[in-house]
Amino acid sequence: MTQLNGNGLALADAYYSAYGSRARELKAEGRKVIGYLSALAPVEIMTAAGLVPLRLKGYPEEPITRADVHMETIVCPFVRNVFDAVLKGKYDFLDGMVLPHQCDSMDRTNDVWSYTLKLPYWHFLNVPHLSDGPSVEFMLSILRLFVGSLEKLTGNRVGNELIALAVKAHNENRRLMRRLYDLRKTNPPLISGEEMTKVQVGAMSLPVLESSSLIEAVIHEVVQRKPPHGNGGKRIMIVGDQVDTAAIAHTIEGAGAWLVMDDISIGAKLCRSEIDTTPDPLQGLAEHYLRHVNLPTTYVAAGKTYGENTDARFGHLKQDIHDFKVDGVVLLINKYCDPYGFEVPAIKAYIESAGASVLYLEYEYANSTLPRLETRIGAFLEMIS
Amino acid sequence: MEEKKPRALATQSAAKIPKFVRSNLSATLKAREEGKKVAYAFIMDGHDEIMRAMDIVPAWGESFSGLCAAKRDAEQYLQKAESENFSRSLCTYATCNLGFDILREEMGGETPPGAPWGGMGRPDMIIGSAQQLCDPRFKWPQATRHYLPDVPVFVGGMYYPPWDPQTDRREVEKFYVKYITEELRECVRFCEKVTGKKMDWDRLEAAVDLADRTWDLFDETYALRKARPTPMDTGDAMNTMVPITFNLGTQEAYDFYKELNAELREKVEKKEGVAEEEKYRLVWGAGLPSWFALGDFQYFNGKGAVFPAETTYHVAQPIDRLDLPNTSDPLEHIAWRLIRYYTHWYDKARQKPGSAPLVERIMEYVDDYKCDGVVFHSAFSCRSWHAGIILQAEVLRKVYGHIPILIMEGDIVDISSYNEADTHNRIDAFIETLEAYKNSRN
Ligand code: SF4
Ligand code: SF4
Repeated sequence: MTQLNGNGLALADAYYSAYGSRARELKAEGRKVIGYLSALAPVEIMTAAGLVPLRLKGYPEEPITRADVHMETIVCPFVRNVFDAVLKGKYDFLDGMVLPHQCDSMDRTNDVWSYTLKLPYWHFLNVPHLSDGPSVEFMLSILRLFVGSLEKLTGNRVGNELIALAVKAHNENRRLMRRLYDLRKTNPPLISGEEMTKVQVGAMSLPVLESSSLIEAVIHEVVQRKPPHGNGGKRIMIVGDQVDTAAIAHTIEGAGAWLVMDDISIGAKLCRSEIDTTPDPLQGLAEHYLRHVNLPTTYVAAGKTYGENTDARFGHLKQDIHDFKVDGVVLLINKYCDPYGFEVPAIKAYIESAGASVLYLEYEYANSTLPRLETRIGAFLEMIS
Repeated sequence: MEEKKPRALATQSAAKIPKFVRSNLSATLKAREEGKKVAYAFIMDGHDEIMRAMDIVPAWGESFSGLCAAKRDAEQYLQKAESENFSRSLCTYATCNLGFDILREEMGGETPPGAPWGGMGRPDMIIGSAQQLCDPRFKWPQATRHYLPDVPVFVGGMYYPPWDPQTDRREVEKFYVKYITEELRECVRFCEKVTGKKMDWDRLEAAVDLADRTWDLFDETYALRKARPTPMDTGDAMNTMVPITFNLGTQEAYDFYKELNAELREKVEKKEGVAEEEKYRLVWGAGLPSWFALGDFQYFNGKGAVFPAETTYHVAQPIDRLDLPNTSDPLEHIAWRLIRYYTHWYDKARQKPGSAPLVERIMEYVDDYKCDGVVFHSAFSCRSWHAGIILQAEVLRKVYGHIPILIMEGDIVDISSYNEADTHNRIDAFIETLEAYKNSRN
């Protein structure tokens, strides 16, 4: 394992910059690396199977050059970008991939990925969009299939004990991440949004124990920083799906604000809650992924009135706005994303009712569009000042 | 806005379709007087027979948006939705409807003036479905509720096993069926609550039986198009799909296909075709059509190209072919039918490494309907039918060598993506390719 030497932020930066380098190393040591997309892939099961799970990220700093030959441009630009990255060989060490049913952009490109990449292992995980009793039951069957397919791949049994252990390790990882989030509550935050993105991205590229060590090292380093003085910069929260480039935080912070909180799928959406320990650990996992990973791709029916329903869907944002003293929210929604896109008016109204201003940006997951976003962000900050 | 001239119709039956659409719409407007409840509903959600058995009047959003598009009158609704921050890249069936709903709410519930055919009635409930068909099926109801907060929403789960060449579908179908059946039961409970009426299970069973018979009749009728010259093409099928997609489980739908069947038989007998001289036979491989440009089918016909088969809106298969397990529970029957509609292609696809069910289906049409090429339409606002088309084309080319394939790009509702001259130029070039292909085969 790579030594951390107490220098967590530098290491996070290194893992961020050379994304997947650790997985590549582990592959060279004979481990099997499984790439996956989305916050809905039960990474605990892959860990339990002794695999190296690697969440795939895109490269918005690079134009898409190869994907369009095989994949329509009406697919969400994040998915296209990752597919492009795989085609370009950025993940040429993968033994397989797991594609969860998060949205049409994933579901409808499943064949395109599997057919084009021809990886030795492929699994489409049919995660339902509902969280009622029958859906949890269904999800359990889906998870059992997944376990079975990984057992076939590794030749080893993935028993309940192994899964329970992995759940414990991943819960610890979530706990550490939340501790790091707490350090963003000061004004200004102890860790900048740009640094935070690098930690989030770096951490998701590592096996869970190494990821936890990294986060611990970052916490250790960050708490030793001098308590900063407030500079009057506005406190911004970002809401969206997979925001895996530090360029976004850089743009926000470059405009004189602090990115202090997020509700994104490589960030707070992942670590808000822990997985319950259940006699059958898959039950806890099924419930967690359907009920506690707060993605707009899961239809939440809770509440008697519409007001109660929006509280159930977005109440966590109200809490964050209060706890992290958020002045403004940037809703960064990928073009061609129906699940997030159809929610914009509702979430915007809800956040505004919680006392924060909202800037809705349609994002094409390309750094080339950042100057345009920068202008909008600048105007937004001026407006809320 | 200026209304486009209607397409010349090859069949008399298709000419009756506007009446169907009008009567579906007016049913939503008259429901209140008749003491019935209206539900916003979505095609292929498996709830048709439940609604019919409970006298719930379905208000079909996709149909209404298609109508707005056909009348080239969707822009005002799309713009309204956009002004509320619904991206222009989202499903335009949904955003067109949302724009209409938002306007109607702003007008205190009055139908926005000039709405095509009197508009759609305000719903008493929304019945969506979280499923593989598409994301808007569960996000659109949620988005609508933002503007109609008093309207209760039900969303059920409706999945079919994903295609995986390594797995035998039979290993998983059962738990999918169990899940769908339970969700359908939830839907019944929801409908009972909103309507205050109990489900009449005998009536449901009769509706399911009628739907099965309609599936068979539909398939048998469409198969008549194998004749040369074909008596009906996709241009008409985009109309004749209305009864099976929007009126399933009703006697009118069944009767419609009886009539269509008789008409097509007569045409086959008399060798009456769609084009003056049928030179090229094409499969409409995938994609919803541009409802504002259905006249393009005529443009094809004018060049001697006809479409005897299409995958779009071919929403039924012969029941026998699906080999449905026996069950006395009509909801379970619906579940099996829905699943097998998709999975029955899997066995065929598994026999050919590199193939896929969607492509198998197209290949079956190419072979059985003796077609010379395949046309796809890629609508930018719908990923569901339109992502994966490039792959389908790639696999087809692998199997057939140089089969001519055209992928047109546009949208279903948003006319701003459409340029008639460009489209016709592309069709002309495609016809030339077809000609060369035919010559090379002769
Ligand atoms: S941004 Fe939307 S469309 Fe893209 S992967 Fe996420 S949920 Fe799917
Ligand atoms: S299938 Fe496509 S066009 Fe139809 S509702 Fe879904 S996204 Fe919209």
